[in-house]
Amino acid sequence: MAVLRTSSLVKRFPGVLALDRFDIEFEAGRIHALVGENGAGKSTLVKILSGVYPPTSGQVLWEGSPVRFDSPRDAGGRVGVVHQERELIPHFTGYENLFLGLEHSSFGFLKKRRMEEEALKFLGRYRMNVDLSLPAYRLSSGQQAMLAILKVLFRDPRVVIFDEPTAPLSVAECEVLFSLIRDLKENGRAVLYISHRLSEVLRIADRITVMRNGCKVATVSGSEVDEDGLIRLMIAKDLENQYPKFPAAIGENVFAAQDYRAPGAGIHGVSFSIRAGEIVGFAGLVGSGRTELAKSVFAGSRGSQGKLTLSGKNFRSKSARDSIDQGVVMIPENRREEGLVAEMDVGSNLIFPKLDLYTRLGFVNKKKAQAAAENAVEKYGIKAFGLSQLVRTLSGGNQQKVSVGKWDLAQAKLWIFDEPTQGIDVDAKTEIYSIMGRVAGAGSGVWFISSELRELTSIADRIYVMKEGRITAEYSRPYDGERILDSMIL
Amino acid sequence: MESSKEKIRGVFSRFGTILALVVLSGVFLLFIPGFARMRNLLNIFYQIALLAVISEGFTMCLIVGELDLSFPSVASLSGALVAGLIFGGMHPVPAVFVCLGVGMAFGIAAGILVTKIGIPSLITTLASGIIAGGMVYMYTKGVSFYGKMPEGFLLLGRGYVGPIPSLIAIMLIVVAVAQIFVSCTRAGKYMQATGANSTASRLAGVDTDFYKILALSLSGLGAAFTGILLTAKLGSANPEGAAGFMMDAFASALLGMTVLSRGRANPFGTFIGALMIGIINNGMTLAGAPYYQQDITKGVIIIFSVALTSLQSKRLAGG
Repeated sequence: MAVLRTSSLVKRFPGVLALDRFDIEFEAGRIHALVGENGAGKSTLVKILSGVYPPTSGQVLWEGSPVRFDSPRDAGGRVGVVHQERELIPHFTGYENLFLGLEHSSFGFLKKRRMEEEALKFLGRYRMNVDLSLPAYRLSSGQQAMLAILKVLFRDPRVVIFDEPTAPLSVAECEVLFSLIRDLKENGRAVLYISHRLSEVLRIADRITVMRNGCKVATVSGSEVDEDGLIRLMIAKDLENQYPKFPAAIGENVFAAQDYRAPGAGIHGVSFSIRAGEIVGFAGLVGSGRTELAKSVFAGSRGSQGKLTLSGKNFRSKSARDSIDQGVVMIPENRREEGLVAEMDVGSNLIFPKLDLYTRLGFVNKKKAQAAAENAVEKYGIKAFGLSQLVRTLSGGNQQKVSVGKWDLAQAKLWIFDEPTQGIDVDAKTEIYSIMGRVAGAGSGVWFISSELRELTSIADRIYVMKEGRITAEYSRPYDGERILDSMIL
Repeated sequence: MESSKEKIRGVFSRFGTILALVVLSGVFLLFIPGFARMRNLLNIFYQIALLAVISEGFTMCLIVGELDLSFPSVASLSGALVAGLIFGGMHPVPAVFVCLGVGMAFGIAAGILVTKIGIPSLITTLASGIIAGGMVYMYTKGVSFYGKMPEGFLLLGRGYVGPIPSLIAIMLIVVAVAQIFVSCTRAGKYMQATGANSTASRLAGVDTDFYKILALSLSGLGAAFTGILLTAKLGSANPEGAAGFMMDAFASALLGMTVLSRGRANPFGTFIGALMIGIINNGMTLAGAPYYQQDITKGVIIIFSVALTSLQSKRLAGG
């Protein structure tokens, strides 16, 4: 019988359906992997299973009977989560981190020797090489990750969830982790393994569930599928035709890069161009360098080399401000943290980047600023009660429209959209596509990063494929989706 | 691998404040006659005793990542209250406990407002400090309390333990207890963890709210105790008695953050910080420097030490 399973789990956030009648089960002694693109709903599932937030509807069942974890602490003894962010106290030693919350003490005094002995005995069970006497900040990032994993295992949970555990690990450390996960399996734990690295998933998982847009696409056994098959399941097309077309006259190069290198961002010599009125897609798997390339062009990257031109002039930028002044704007992937000031109202967010235009001698001309904000609300179809509504309370799609609308500047020649439709509902997606179309139609260049192949092939006039920090292929209409997919993977 | 240059830098940043203390003392030793006399050295310790005690309480707040601006007013209140109770005929022992209780109550109330209601501690304790300050004037009607106090109570501030003034002995005990509490007890560890990463601590099952309340109440306790000692030292109570501790206590704790433990408040470091303040005050007074020069010097030293701490943590974040 399944140790833990979910039944018809639904989680709804304002404007986003993060989980849609989701069923999954975890059996003792089995490794169950979960794969899906960013925003598919994986982390929402983990947060519900570990008690961070309750489901909107549906149930979590522990050994067949419904349970409710009200807090991570509540779930901790049964469901342990190894998070992407390593949750350690930097200046505490390994021992102290391991025992945090479980210390042995008598009359309030810590029994250091007893804890050290117990920790070493525990460590012996897991062939892991971590020096527990050092403070966590002195460990390498791989060892910190190991320590964070040990901290979870030390609490002896029956279900262990690994959320992208191998991202910070070296190859050798990954091997240690895999053998540890196999040990856990043999000890009868149920393991949920989440990773973008599909080869790993195929190596260790007994079963694999593929998620897309909060729904389960399929659950397959690890032996009956290969990497290509998984990717096809992850990306596969939605059926509705949600992609409006905006024909635009394509003109001269707006932006061009020649052998651009940014070693700090892992970009090795890329050349590409974006023309006026053109939407240029950047495809690639997670970690292929798409976002890194855009960020290092937009915000500058130390030690970058190569020639960048904007409207025929040399383009050099040390900071975001620099780029904005020269006419390059970016709508970042992470809109809540990087694209918006969520705690401020719609009007302020829309006016921020262009406050200079409405300021005289340091004083803001409120009337003019407000008129401009109202204009942007109308132009970008932002659905808000008014300019004073807090951005935090808007739906995902409307937040994204604010994030785009704030760049409504006369001088913007190149717009970089990084995963602009991630985590927003279908209608809002369509609106974002039309905004991109209008931007291009007005003669700007659009640089469009997306993990959804379908939207790229529908919206983009040309597509570059990136892999490991390089541009490996370029496609133009008519597209052959299969071929693009192949060049992303192979 | 750490290069030898990095190692030297590491040593300097960990022991830099102690080094500065040694250098400063050396300069005073060489150029200021009378500084090195045994009597003067004891005098420095005597002068910083109250500062060190009140700063240790404040250090507890910094450890959990909160602030306390109310401690000078709470100390003044407690100093006036203990005098008033004793002059009113109460035995000194219960009077002392009543005052300690009042100090803790201020801390607990502030802690509850900070953790359960969510008012930032800066604002909460600013307000509770104003309240305590108002209560002093309500209680004293703005006049100082003079009168005859029992010998036993005065010994607390004026007595000797062997050759050592009792205030110095009390200070050393408070520093030692605070350091042991922070580094060897479960509660001390949880306070550090709460201050360093409260989310991770909460997820690990630490009741972070409780430890924040505990820290604020220890700060109240330290302040109340300091007020009592001040009254015992002077034999009288003045409504503004402890107001001058604010800046020096901040300075001590901030200087202390650069001692030994990488940019984190710690009781031993705070003691070193208080000692540094004491040496600056004493040496510059002996050298005949006017009061305002001492203030400027202290301000510069605080900025310098905090800059050192920020650089340390910046490097930490980078690597």
